[in-house]
Amino acid sequence: MSLISMKFVVFVAAAVFGYYVIPKRFQWVWLLLFSYIYYASSGVKFLFFLLFSTLTTYGAGRLLYAVRTSCTDKKKARFYGRIIVVCGLFLNFGMLAVMKYTNFVILNINAVFGTQIDLFSLLLPLGISFYTFQSTGYVLDVYWGKCEPERNVLRFALFVSFFPQILQGPIGRFHRLAGQLYAEHTFDFQRIERGLELILWGFFKKMVLADNAGVFVSAIFSDTQNYAGLSIFGVLGYSIQLYGDFSGGMDVVQGISNLFGITLDDNFKRPYFARSITDFWHRWHITLGTWMKDYVFYPVSLSGWMNRFSRFAKKRFGKSIGRTLPICLANLIVFLVVGIWHGAAWKFIVYGLYNGIIIAVSGLLAGQYRSWKKALHINSSAWWYQLFQLLRTFLLVNISWFFDRADSVPQALEMMRNAVTTFTPSELLSIPVQQNGSTAMTAAVLVILAAGCLMLFCVSVLQERGICVREVLAKRPLVLRLAVYLALFFALPCLGQPPSLTGGFIYAQF
Amino acid sequence: MEQLLEILEDIQPDADYENCETLIDDGILDSFAILSIVSELEDAFGVSVTPAEIVPENFNSAKALWAMVCRLKEEA
Repeated sequence: MSLISMKFVVFVAAAVFGYYVIPKRFQWVWLLLFSYIYYASSGVKFLFFLLFSTLTTYGAGRLLYAVRTSCTDKKKARFYGRIIVVCGLFLNFGMLAVMKYTNFVILNINAVFGTQIDLFSLLLPLGISFYTFQSTGYVLDVYWGKCEPERNVLRFALFVSFFPQILQGPIGRFHRLAGQLYAEHTFDFQRIERGLELILWGFFKKMVLADNAGVFVSAIFSDTQNYAGLSIFGVLGYSIQLYGDFSGGMDVVQGISNLFGITLDDNFKRPYFARSITDFWHRWHITLGTWMKDYVFYPVSLSGWMNRFSRFAKKRFGKSIGRTLPICLANLIVFLVVGIWHGAAWKFIVYGLYNGIIIAVSGLLAGQYRSWKKALHINSSAWWYQLFQLLRTFLLVNISWFFDRADSVPQALEMMRNAVTTFTPSELLSIPVQQNGSTAMTAAVLVILAAGCLMLFCVSVLQERGICVREVLAKRPLVLRLAVYLALFFALPCLGQPPSLTGGFIYAQF
Repeated sequence: MEQLLEILEDIQPDADYENCETLIDDGILDSFAILSIVSELEDAFGVSVTPAEIVPENFNSAKALWAMVCRLKEEA
């Protein structure tokens, strides 16, 4: 069931109506029911994967609790706990790996050894990357004593399957989300209005910004020969498309959750205002970044073998580099995993490592940077230096988008070369925005896109300055608010691309 | 405590470690800095820090860090 469909609107309306009509103590059951109906609508057979993940992580949580409370010998308890965690993670990541990466491995074996092993026709279950990460995070939190395990398997099933977020996140944490899911919520008109407002804004970003930019991006990336002079516009368009698509999707998800009185973790914080790649990852897909930090980066960095490497590095390279080198290595591992998580293709691995290498080098040279800035009398808070950092980061991020969007690494490299050697902006007007679309139509869509970007930029600048546009709007009279909502609502069909032509959200395929 | 302040100053200079109680919340210490501190703490005080200890409450101030070191030393 696509998020941009009348079916989904009716589904959400029914879910919200029932939620506030039934006795409050059954609200979480109602949400569970609708979450499973939503998931089953993508294919009943996929329920198996969701149930498998739910039951194995629930079981791991209960077993960990049983070991902690019944085993008096601390050493034994730690040993059993470790076995339970390893089994829980192996089962869940094993399932994810088989479903997502089997054909990628076969393709590479065939290419390297010249074999002809047939590919499997595996369909990726909806949201598997997201709920696998969310539920395995719970297992590790229970293991580390960061949260108490859930006793009721049905309540836990809701934590894994909550329908607004299962498609594309955000990846929730048990201690912040579960309590909200099980709590009783009363109808609050103001909250409903704010939720609907966020949904409208999300759809505006998706349909008016992302989908309009997507028309140009698809054309340029699918015909790199003819549109060689537009490579730079291709990647800039992709930076708009991906941000509008993913952050717009998150606004919709957050808005729907608000309708039920639930607040999800933020996933975006104006990423194109980042001043370094590290800062970018603190603002882009935040819940994936924090998941990686807590469950991969810290455990790998603090593992026994990394400790041994740290001692060796300190002896060999001195205290400062020896201390930083293992952290850089752990960081590279994290971004390798981030790349693999994004998809089964070498281009994603390059994308991940590219980010990881930049952050690792920045970490290694942090001390140098400080002394260079001191020697050159650079004031870090000067506006021109901050602008330089912002533009430098935007450039680095756009280079990474070439790998993310192109079909392959060679195509990404070819487009990068074209971006700096060939420039024919007038060709933009030759891209048809619809079947048999005229040049005038293309120009109109470009104007709409530019106006939409300007609007988003203004809102983002205000937010960066600590002004919450939604709070300002909330204080205005109802008539004015309604006018804004209606303008946004009618902008969707009038200024956006028809959903039948553009498909769903990009991150829903993960 | 003085040794701890020296470690902090060496890893991330220009912060008011004596008074600041929002080192993590305000982004003064990032994950690279946290792990560098952990590495130094392990060397200097012979404690072993696990991933479960890496929470803002333990790293938001020099006092909280010192309390964690003392607790880990007792548990060792």
